[in-house]
Amino acid sequence: QEFQFGPCRVEGVVLQELWEAFWAMKDIVQAKDNITNVRLLRKEVLQNVSNAESCYLIRALLKFYLNTVFKNYQDKAADFRVRKSFSTLANNFVVIVSKLQPSQENEMFSVSDSARRRFLLFQRAFKQLDIEAAQTKAFGEVDILLTWMEKFYQL
Amino acid sequence: DGVAILPAPQNLSVQSTNMKHLLTWSPVMVPGEIIYYFVEYQGEYESLYMSHVWIPSSWCSPTKGPECDITDDITATVPYNLRVRATQGSETSAWSTLKPPFNRNSTILTPPGMDVTKDGFHLVIKLEDLGSQFEFLVAYWRREPGAKEHVKVVRSRGIPVHLETMEPGAAYCVKVQTFVKAIGRHSPFSQAECVKVQGETLPL
Repeated sequence: QEFQFGPCRVEGVVLQELWEAFWAMKDIVQAKDNITNVRLLRKEVLQNVSNAESCYLIRALLKFYLNTVFKNYQDKAADFRVRKSFSTLANNFVVIVSKLQPSQENEMFSVSDSARRRFLLFQRAFKQLDIEAAQTKAFGEVDILLTWMEKFYQL
Repeated sequence: DGVAILPAPQNLSVQSTNMKHLLTWSPVMVPGEIIYYFVEYQGEYESLYMSHVWIPSSWCSPTKGPECDITDDITATVPYNLRVRATQGSETSAWSTLKPPFNRNSTILTPPGMDVTKDGFHLVIKLEDLGSQFEFLVAYWRREPGAKEHVKVVRSRGIPVHLETMEPGAAYCVKVQTFVKAIGRHSPFSQAECVKVQGETLPL
C-alpha cells in the first residue's frame, strides 16, 4: 500500500488513517465555512492531472496546507479529539512531503509548469478570501484533496 | 503553574514492540502522598510549525502509574517529542522530555504466533491478531527435496486461512512473518511448523 504520484513513490502512510482523522473533524471544520458559493480545489485544479504532473502538484498543495492552511489551527482547536486528529493528518502530510522528490530536469519544465499553473489557480482563489475564511474553507476541502490523492494510492 | 518543588520524573524511555508503544519513567516518590503524572506529545509537524503546541496523551493526562501506553497517540511515522511531569495536589514538577524523540519505525517486530492445523486434507493456518497495521507473509512447502516454496499474503486476522490441499502421506511445512505498511518493515520469519497427512487415499 503506497502512493505513486507519477515517478514519486510514498510508503509509510495509510490513506485510511488520513480519512479517519479527517472524518473526526469534518463536521466541526465544515460547519465554520460560511462561504458556500466558492470552491478552492475546483475542477480546473484537480481534473485530468497527468501522472507526471501529479508529483509536482501534490507537493505544492501539501506544502501550502502545512505552511498556510493549517497555521495556528492547533491554537484554535479547543476540542481534544480534534487536536489529536489534526495532529495525525498534519504529521502524515509531513511524511508525504518529505518523500516527494519531483525531478528538476529541464525536459520536465512543461510538466512542472502546468502543475504550477494549477496550483496558482488554487492559491489565487485562496487569497481572494479573508485569511481565516480561506483557511477554514481549504481545511474543509481536505476531503476533496484526499479523494483526488486516492487515485494515486495502490493497495 | 505551581512552583516546581516536586522533582521531575527521570529516566524516560519507550519500549515498543509490534507497534505497541509504552512510555515509562522512574516514579517520583513522596512518602504518604499520591503522585499523578501528565503526559503530552508533539509530532514533527507541531515541533516544526508550532513548537509551543503540546497535545495531552489520550490515556495519561493524568495517570497514577509510572508508565503510559502511547500507541494511540503515535499516528504517523515521524519523530515524536514526549514529555511527562508530576503533580501532587497543587504542586507541579518541571517537564521531563524524552531524548531522543521516538519514531515508530524503531519498533521491534517479532515473528507472529501461528496455529497450523489439518482439516481433513486441508492445510489451515490461524494467525495471531496483531491489529490492522499488520499483514502476514505465509510461506509453505511440501517437505521433500527440491520442493517449491509457495507464498501467500494474508490480511485477515485471527481467522483460519486455507493454504493447500495436501497429498496423503505427505508432510507440509509453514513459516510466517509480519509486514507493517506504515513503517515498511518485516519481522523475522517464525520457526517452521510441519504437519503430516496420514496415508489414506483421497476420497472420490
